[in-house]
Amino acid sequence: MTPLLETDVVVAGGGVTGVAVLRDLALRGVNAVLVERFDLGTGTSGRWHGLLHSGARYAVRDQESARECIEENTVLRRIAPHTVEDIGGLFVLLPGDDEAYAGKFVEGCQASGIPTEELSAAEARRREPLLAPDVKLAFAVPDGGIDSWALLRSMAADAEARGSRVLVRHPVVGVERDGDRITAVRVHDQVAGEDRLIGCQWVVNATGAWAGEIGRMAGVPIRMIAGKGVMVVMASRYVRGVVNACRKPADGDIIVPQHEVAILGTTSVQVDSPDDIAVAPADVDRMIDMCAQMVPSLASGRVLRAFAGSRPLYQPESEDGGASDGGDTREVSRTFTVLDHASRDGLGNMLSIVGGKLTTCRQMAEALVDRLAERMGVTEPCRTATEVLPGADHGPHRLAAPLAGVERDGAYGELICECELVTRGQVRAAIADGLTELEDLRRKLRLGYGPCQAAFCAWRAAGMLSEGSGGDHLGGLERFLEERWRGQRATIWGDQARQALLNHAIYRGIFDLRGAGRPDEAAAAGLPRAEPVGGG
Amino acid sequence: MRADVVVVGAGPAGLATAVRLAEAGRQVRVIARGNGFTHWGAGAVDALGRLGGERVERPLEAVGRLPEDHPYRLAGEAALRDGLDWFARFAATAGLAHAGDPERNRDQVTALGVLRPTCLLPEPAAQVLPEGSGEPQGGAPVDREGSGEPQGGAPVGRGRVAVVNFEGFRDFSPALCAAGLRGAGVDAVPASAPLPPWDHARYFSAVELARAIDDDDFRRRLAPGLARAAAGADVVVVPAVLGVRGGHEPWADLQRLVGTPLVEAATAPPSIPGLRLFAAYRRRLDALGVGWQFGFPAVGVERDGDRVTAVRSEGASREVVTHCQELVLATGGVAGHGIEANRDGTLAEVVAGLPVEGFPDRTAFLGERFLGEHPLGAAGVRVDAELRPMNASGSPVHANVRCVGGLLAGHDPTVEGSREGVALATATRTAELLAPTPTPAT
Repeated sequence: MTPLLETDVVVAGGGVTGVAVLRDLALRGVNAVLVERFDLGTGTSGRWHGLLHSGARYAVRDQESARECIEENTVLRRIAPHTVEDIGGLFVLLPGDDEAYAGKFVEGCQASGIPTEELSAAEARRREPLLAPDVKLAFAVPDGGIDSWALLRSMAADAEARGSRVLVRHPVVGVERDGDRITAVRVHDQVAGEDRLIGCQWVVNATGAWAGEIGRMAGVPIRMIAGKGVMVVMASRYVRGVVNACRKPADGDIIVPQHEVAILGTTSVQVDSPDDIAVAPADVDRMIDMCAQMVPSLASGRVLRAFAGSRPLYQPESEDGGASDGGDTREVSRTFTVLDHASRDGLGNMLSIVGGKLTTCRQMAEALVDRLAERMGVTEPCRTATEVLPGADHGPHRLAAPLAGVERDGAYGELICECELVTRGQVRAAIADGLTELEDLRRKLRLGYGPCQAAFCAWRAAGMLSEGSGGDHLGGLERFLEERWRGQRATIWGDQARQALLNHAIYRGIFDLRGAGRPDEAAAAGLPRAEPVGGG
Repeated sequence: MRADVVVVGAGPAGLATAVRLAEAGRQVRVIARGNGFTHWGAGAVDALGRLGGERVERPLEAVGRLPEDHPYRLAGEAALRDGLDWFARFAATAGLAHAGDPERNRDQVTALGVLRPTCLLPEPAAQVLPEGSGEPQGGAPVDREGSGEPQGGAPVGRGRVAVVNFEGFRDFSPALCAAGLRGAGVDAVPASAPLPPWDHARYFSAVELARAIDDDDFRRRLAPGLARAAAGADVVVVPAVLGVRGGHEPWADLQRLVGTPLVEAATAPPSIPGLRLFAAYRRRLDALGVGWQFGFPAVGVERDGDRVTAVRSEGASREVVTHCQELVLATGGVAGHGIEANRDGTLAEVVAGLPVEGFPDRTAFLGERFLGEHPLGAAGVRVDAELRPMNASGSPVHANVRCVGGLLAGHDPTVEGSREGVALATATRTAELLAPTPTPAT
């Protein structure tokens, strides 16, 4: 087996942490290749609520995490303003909530460096008109919204522009060891259908909740806890900013408005595998019922879909606290840890980064690359906190920007996806960039995310793909529809049930697509089935 | 308000029922929340397209193989046959002649290039496509039972098909349609025809384009470009947008001007052929003096013993009560808003609170595969042989309430391809029951 590439560092994992590591290495002039089993952001980085933490959620119990969050909150607003929606957040105290907790909350925020502003019930309801009338008081904090795909794309583009390589659809399947060193990482090229070797000096394991699997291949134990979090996507935003319950973190205590939807979160339950992301109807009901205590109109609202993500929680060997199987994993710290397997396990050239959260991904990368640079003898300092990302000159993300663009250009008739305001020009440009699958168009453009769940855009976009290729794209269309379906079954009742049956009447009724007789081209080509990802 | 018969719902079943009852001399009033499946469907008359997943070639014959509680079995095969005959006469009189034979299904061309089975097709969609010279290129499903017989009045031979879009119309892709048709063995090539200058050059929907094509002068300016795009083709497939206000004259006129047979392909909603049909029903109801309350849903009924005496509906400023002797519910299933699917898995009939069998929880509503089958699609009200809603023990709940169309249990109109047929069969049966000596259509 001939090496596919030779590089200094192989970074395993195409979530925000791995891509942040890749960018940090690139800025320090280190040659690196990132490998990802599916596509960028298809794991936990695409399966979360989109909260740019102020840190206030951890201010009472986990001030180390809280401090990391507020620092990085400030950094990300500076280096990646185009991915951040500056909407602020409230922590609201409801009848029955412990007032003593509110006191501890304010103290904790103060101690962690998180600015808070106490609001009367009336002031809170002026800011958030749909808040429950019985809200007692609220605290404003600098929470925000962040688009993790935009962040991922910007970081990856920056790293690639500086000479790094990103290989998606290349899962790690093994490592080659020579004594106490890894000499190469074996990956499976999903498109070519064969294994390849990437020769390297160093390996970074940034696979988050899946870090234990890479550890096993390398022969080092890494004890990860898969902490499943369920999120529910509502068909409209409901709130202007993030709304949190001012109480000990629990199920259904946060509402994050994101693009045209609101995301309700979340549960925190230990499961056996990070790939267990099933959502039970009871989870959905609980999210809605709990969040409706803060915003009552959610109870009668339209639910688009539900999804779950696996938190990358790390359980150090020396501690045996944490959750038992099936238990609540909120007790496990949200801070992060760099594992140097040389001192820890006698494996000379691999480092892992575990724990942490999206808001702190850049800081996690900095800590890891600082350690790695020291080992490599690289003296360049970290510059990721000051070098702005490509796209930052677009200014902060504004919800109304896509609509303003459509209105400026008079592009109503050019809309392919009315729900998400995706224009024909955007689809055409993405196809010209080489995208050939509706799934890829969805992740890049948010095509098909809205209330109609792709009823009208999917076949229009398939038509545009067909104009480029001349093919019928019916197989791709069917796959796309089935993928969209996977996140919906726990959330279908009321209006959304009508929508589902209307969509069925269009695709199966009018267009007579039945899917059954068509070969699964993805399986035939050895392509992974794309994970349904969050965000709407 | 007062009427002999109140029909709730203005989809394929409600409209046909109202017209048939009014033609038979009953005084009818229609109350409807909004548009129904005329606007959302394929613009054809499906009788029975598939059974057990297999394509049905002879729908009337296949009715006998349906379960006993299927609406066709309850209404009777004769009601289906009579309903289809009545519809064909009604549509032809309205200038919307349909082709086809209730004995045999035929193919409808769709915008994806897939050929769907249906029973009656509006003339602009009825031309049979010529066969290509090669083998099917794989892809689109072709599972017609190979009878080799022609499927309708039009000649079948070999030839070329041009699939033409009107420039800038985003709801039709000639490339996609042509690729799908090639997969079905048709020699199809994509092309595009320029639109003459008009008012909506920046932004237009299917409805606006269809309205423009209603105009004689617009068609005259459109035809040369369409003819150029169609050059060398034996048949031209276009999106179903050839006029919306009246009958099929715009299609016939444009076909004459272009000099090549034009075939309208079914698109995603709104269905322009369905809008034409809706307008024809509306004109007919007006002519018959049927009162019409549109845009305000019925929300409840008043009862006296086992009889419903009035329907309550929303109004512009207050609730409206319409007294009636008979009530016909044509509100549709879950998709049509006739049944509410609740978060806890129960189902509720929205007007009269009729019994509907629910599910243990909502995960049972839907199947694993989107393009598969969904139990919720077949949910509905169980009725007796006189289409009266039944309770769990099988007795009628009300003596003077009938259910028609998609509201009925025992069928999945999307999966079976039976929506319009069930609407017409149950409308016919209701007319027999409520107006025992129906007069023929005009």
